[in-house]
Amino acid sequence: MPDRAILLACVTLLAFAIAGWRFAQVFRPVFRGGPAARFDQPRRRLKGVLGDIGLHRRLFRYRWSGILHAFMMSGFLVLLTVTLESFVRPFFPGFSLDAIGGSTGLALVQEIFAGFILIALSMAIWQRLVWKPKRFRTSSAKDAWIIYALVGTIVASLVLEAACHQILQGGVSPWRPVSGTLARILTALGMGQSGAAVVEPAAYWLHVAAILSFLVYIPGSKHRHIFTAAFNIYFRPLDRAQELPKTDPDAASVGVVTIEDFSWKHKLDLVSCTECGRCEAACPANAAGLPLSPKLIVTGLRDHMIAEEKAACEHTPIVGNVIPEETLFACTTCRACMDACPVWIEPMSKIIELRRTAVEEGSVEPMLQTALKNFQNSGNSQGKPARQRPRWAKGLDFAIKDAREEPVDILWFVGDHASYDPRVQEITRKVAKLLHEAGVDFGILHDGETNAGNDVRRIGEEGMFQDLAQANVEAINGCTFNRILTTDPHSLNALKNDYRQFGTDYTVVHYTELLVELVGSGALTLEVPEDGAAVTYHDPCYLGRYNGVFDAPRDLIRMAGYEVHEMARNRENSFCCGAGGGRIWMDDSAMTERPSESRIKEALSIGNVTAFVVACPKDLIMYSAAVQALGVGDRIRVTDIADLLIPRAA
Amino acid sequence: MHVAAILRLVPDTREELEVDASGRDIDREWVGMRLSEFDDQALEEAVLLKERSGAKVTAIALAGEGVDRLLQTAVARGVDEVVRVVHDIADSRDTARQVEALAGALHRIGADVVLTGVMTPEDILGQLAGTLAGRLGWPVFNAVTSVAAEGDGLRLRQEYSGGRAAIFDVSGPVVIGVQSASQAPRYVAGSKLRQAAGTPIGQEEIPTRAPAAAAAITGLSLVEAGGQAVSLEGDATTIAGKIIAILSEKGLIGA
Repeated sequence: MPDRAILLACVTLLAFAIAGWRFAQVFRPVFRGGPAARFDQPRRRLKGVLGDIGLHRRLFRYRWSGILHAFMMSGFLVLLTVTLESFVRPFFPGFSLDAIGGSTGLALVQEIFAGFILIALSMAIWQRLVWKPKRFRTSSAKDAWIIYALVGTIVASLVLEAACHQILQGGVSPWRPVSGTLARILTALGMGQSGAAVVEPAAYWLHVAAILSFLVYIPGSKHRHIFTAAFNIYFRPLDRAQELPKTDPDAASVGVVTIEDFSWKHKLDLVSCTECGRCEAACPANAAGLPLSPKLIVTGLRDHMIAEEKAACEHTPIVGNVIPEETLFACTTCRACMDACPVWIEPMSKIIELRRTAVEEGSVEPMLQTALKNFQNSGNSQGKPARQRPRWAKGLDFAIKDAREEPVDILWFVGDHASYDPRVQEITRKVAKLLHEAGVDFGILHDGETNAGNDVRRIGEEGMFQDLAQANVEAINGCTFNRILTTDPHSLNALKNDYRQFGTDYTVVHYTELLVELVGSGALTLEVPEDGAAVTYHDPCYLGRYNGVFDAPRDLIRMAGYEVHEMARNRENSFCCGAGGGRIWMDDSAMTERPSESRIKEALSIGNVTAFVVACPKDLIMYSAAVQALGVGDRIRVTDIADLLIPRAA
Repeated sequence: MHVAAILRLVPDTREELEVDASGRDIDREWVGMRLSEFDDQALEEAVLLKERSGAKVTAIALAGEGVDRLLQTAVARGVDEVVRVVHDIADSRDTARQVEALAGALHRIGADVVLTGVMTPEDILGQLAGTLAGRLGWPVFNAVTSVAAEGDGLRLRQEYSGGRAAIFDVSGPVVIGVQSASQAPRYVAGSKLRQAAGTPIGQEEIPTRAPAAAAAITGLSLVEAGGQAVSLEGDATTIAGKIIAILSEKGLIGA
């Protein structure tokens, strides 16, 4: 075996051994992780991988970053052929890719993609040095620069080697425009064949050294995602139940106490984070100045996991030690972080798992504790007696059926705020009138309804969620109906998704969906103002991002004769009002700017809208308060969609 | 040290209360019952005493609707044992007979420190602690804001107005009316409540005798608006104007 091959074999084996040892330290805890049911629907999973890696579906939401990543990734995939040649040729001197165009077509492709990598590198450096996005501030800049240096070295040494090779061959290849140009420059600078004969092997070894350094460095770097991203996307949650699986509230321990309690998928998330900060940029709690960054949750847990693995020490409880309680309870569970992540990391689910532990230990802030005690005592957040639940219906000139007593077509699950909160009751009555006007056969559960438990579950109070849900399932299953209608998107999410763990399969619609149906079928005709004003619509997280209902509310607004002018953050990119995940019951005095106020300012920036239209009782409360706090009531009014609808007199 | 925490379910005064047909009580048919706010503090202080000094804690409540759940909640919060006192008391405001039943139960379980709330909506003068201490022949400390083990006894803190406080070192049996615990009552997760749901509840049956003489409520009515209050109507600007007018009229601000 020639000397070059022996040396290459030695350094390669050494690099693989070190990298393997480093990878083992990182992946050992992942393989030890708890169970996660993520092996179903392989074709759908694979399709997602192709879409998110092959087409860069999520990455392109940030155009600059998406393009640079596409250049970088595709460049390295193509240059794998060069790496193959570099590592195989010393062992098999006659080895060549010429049969597949290694000196012609493939060479041209390699040259073009090497150019793409250099462009991507320049774009990345420009972004980091000139634009300095806020989302990078808490990411490891050192790691990024080391990788830039290695990438630059890999490509530069490759091009230099190819240039020297052409000088040695005595002519520039027309298939190698990049290295050919360099060869011309070097020749012009006086490099002859003797010089090239010295530089070529030096460039070769520099290339090999950079590649192997990359391999050794990667296990401890965020660029580990090169190996993990595809798997992480493949094992992504395919539905809401996988996102927040059922737990046994009677188990000895609920939630995640130490890192060892996380599932393998949660741990795979940790080692897949690229620190791109898109989750942080999308987080309403972070924007409000609360001490929450989904990225830092993930990187904090990752560093903690790897540090404990290296130290082989006792596993310490995470809540209060690695992540403070106030960070966990800052989350509004809006899912924006989950939707933003290009590799489908699930920060929110981890937060909920950790909240469960905090709740289990009784570590709950006073205001939230009051709300939870209300749930325990009364089955609703307001602490009101159950028998007062249907009181909102007083004053209607028709009686609402008790669905427990007689069959109905539509079982209306009204929800806490819509039932009890005087600020929302008028809208509830309006919805009832519209249903009555359209001749809908509907009924309610009266005092048989309790809070749906959506937010209770996301606070981390899994035991109470199970109690509330079971009470509702029992009440609902005792009724005869075709579909369930909800006013509140939070209730809709619980009934439609969370209750499936109790064996239910309800057809649940939001009132905007039903009203669109009724207007569309002619059952409900509306008075349409001739000069319908321009309004903007806010997508509630639990209606839009969680359940994909984006069009019905907009259609309904148009049917009512109004024009929808979109805010910059709309549909999947909507910005949470700040009430979800139990935040509506927590202290918001630490916020620098309430998310609801930021949103109202965004609506005002459109310039010509008169109304901020909502489709969620919590939004009505949050945004009305925001308009009042900002003192802009004379410029914009907050209104529920139902309030825009004026039924035409028969 | 064996600490007994007395827990009482009382009408939820946050609800809209109505006077019943007799005119001598509230209509209890629809009213919700909840753990007395101060008993909640007493329970927390008892559990803290257990956690900090290893005392045994038993929660005691007079039998009634919802009491079993209340006692199981106490188990979830950390008490060692729970006892339901079966009694023959018809009126929940009859302190004398309640004390008789509770004292009997306390003797049987062998408690030497009793913690209870300083008052409840039905024990409005805070008479339970004092009456119980009298019956047991023990000293009583009311409106206590902290109970801590100190040597062989307890160190108690009573707060007075003007930022003053008194510290007492007590040894031997004692009844303590707790105004507030050393820390806010802890939250008990639903899962813990579910786990505690099957906890066996001890039972003591204590017959009581009607006192020879007792005061009787002759009438109960909701608070009526008196003539001393003025309700200001109108929008914010109008109301602000009216407030300024009243303050200047009384010479509290310049005209």
